[in-house]
Amino acid sequence: MIAQIWQYVLGGVVDGAIFALVAAGFVLIYQVTGIINFAQGEFVMVGGMTAASLAAAGMPPLGAAAIAVLVAACVGALSYLLAIRPARAATGVTLIFITLGLDVALRGLALFVWGTNPYSLPAFSGGNAVKLFGGALPPQAMWVLGTDLIVFAALYLFFARTYAGTAVRAAVANPPIASTFGIPLRTFAFASFVVAAAIGGLGGVVITPIPGVQYDAGLTYGLAGFVAAVLGGLDSLPGALLGGFVLGIVEHVAGGLLSPGWEQGVGFLILVLVLVLRPQGLLGRAVRRA
Amino acid sequence: MSFAPANAHGRVALVVLAVVAAAVWFLPAYYTGLLTLIGIYSLVTIGLNLFMGYAGQVSLGQAAFVGIGAYTSAVLAVDLHVTPWLGAVGGAAVAALVAYVLSFVALRLRENLLALATLALGIVINVVFNEWEFIGGSSGFKDIPGFTLGAFTFDPRAYAILSWALVAAGIWFAGNLVRSSFGRTLIAISAGELGAQALGVDPEKLKRQTFVLSAVYAGVAGAVYASYQSYIDPSSFSFLLSVNFVLMSVIGGLRSLWGAVIGAAIVVALGQVLQALVPLVLPSARGDFQQFFLGAVLIAILILLPRGLAGRLSEARRA
Repeated sequence: MIAQIWQYVLGGVVDGAIFALVAAGFVLIYQVTGIINFAQGEFVMVGGMTAASLAAAGMPPLGAAAIAVLVAACVGALSYLLAIRPARAATGVTLIFITLGLDVALRGLALFVWGTNPYSLPAFSGGNAVKLFGGALPPQAMWVLGTDLIVFAALYLFFARTYAGTAVRAAVANPPIASTFGIPLRTFAFASFVVAAAIGGLGGVVITPIPGVQYDAGLTYGLAGFVAAVLGGLDSLPGALLGGFVLGIVEHVAGGLLSPGWEQGVGFLILVLVLVLRPQGLLGRAVRRA
Repeated sequence: MSFAPANAHGRVALVVLAVVAAAVWFLPAYYTGLLTLIGIYSLVTIGLNLFMGYAGQVSLGQAAFVGIGAYTSAVLAVDLHVTPWLGAVGGAAVAALVAYVLSFVALRLRENLLALATLALGIVINVVFNEWEFIGGSSGFKDIPGFTLGAFTFDPRAYAILSWALVAAGIWFAGNLVRSSFGRTLIAISAGELGAQALGVDPEKLKRQTFVLSAVYAGVAGAVYASYQSYIDPSSFSFLLSVNFVLMSVIGGLRSLWGAVIGAAIVVALGQVLQALVPLVLPSARGDFQQFFLGAVLIAILILLPRGLAGRLSEARRA
């Protein structure tokens, strides 16, 4: 029984790692622009689909991965330029509708490009499953966890140690004053979409060898990413990391013990509880009733 | 609150109902089916427009209330042999009850967080549909009895007329509502809750009443849908359907009752047209690719015509 639960936990860690990456994208965009980007999951799908279809066409994995991240970043850039920026006068609810429309449009676009067939991607490295206290992780899980480590370390260093990162923090803390000091808010908003999309795309590339990918995969990633982001705190990057892993583990254990159908249900029950009891999330700072 | 026996909305609705009732005798079965679907979706969207457009809130879980109405009516009809007419009343009542209970959770939140909470509740309810064996679990409910009137069992034409009669009634009721002090107070809430509160309005209570009313519209629509299709399963009421209701609502025009009908008609009709035309240009196109255009239309409308198509039309009329 214990061994079984441990195996569920390990499975949850792999899912949690990808949820954390999606959540990081949410948090970046939300912090910089105040927008909840309902299309975040689609960046993961675009990354996974691009890498998988290029690899299927015979391109070496590393090249396919690099192009996939680039394509995802471009999709993020175009999303901002075509859908978000022209609506800059819009307020809260309208922006929700716009990113929802973006999500629907990107999923429909994927149907044109890739059709309804599922794609798969070979694992980046061969070898045996990694044993850990009697449980097992697929070798690809190491790539996923390593990606988390690198992405979150890079984000931390950027915000804590660089001039540009400090400027972004200033812009988040007080946009009008930051703007007075010449901080380009709009450029930061653009950049947040590009970086969030690239992170999502990278996540899609490294996770795809495990579950495969198809045109509507972004929905699941996006929904799980929200829960993780809200759970951790919408304004906290460490919260996104923590929220992702907590959600992945809780979902897997609950799904294993109850029934697979409850996996998602438990995640969303948690989301409701967090929204009601602690809207700032586990590591978030202030209660923002917006 | 005074209710006029007929308002402008109600009169137009009667004309539209008469046109539909006449048209179904000439239209091929395929178009009658589309009309029925548009009617059912319109009903949901009218309720959603009251909540989103007039009260200024957001719901990404409306499909769950349609599902609750459908399942309630199906259980009543199949297990307890209750006529679908009462089933629809029961479906609306259960949907209203669930909305009432959930409103204490969801309506404390605003904008972004309200969107996430309604999304989450909708998905949790869908998981319950999937996992609850009593209502068929993932395999759904089969052989749901149809509506009857005396010895007459409803055929597709009768369903088209029934759904549009409900649209007419729904528009008439909502038309009275939005012109009453209740409707004006809702608009005040959407303009700013603090200001409304200062005038002695209880925003919490009004938002709750509107949310429950939107669930009643959705519940009735769900009950009609269940009998019309005679088969339902959890995937019929997924998050994607909730998103489609938002598309209809926003494309038609949030703060407009006819906008709901226009939006539902555009989403259904444009979907069918694109499904027929696009494969001629791109033979590889498969699946629900029309969603790409609908999403793009939604964004374009929000940027170019923030009040939706219906808002645009009424501006043009005034000018």
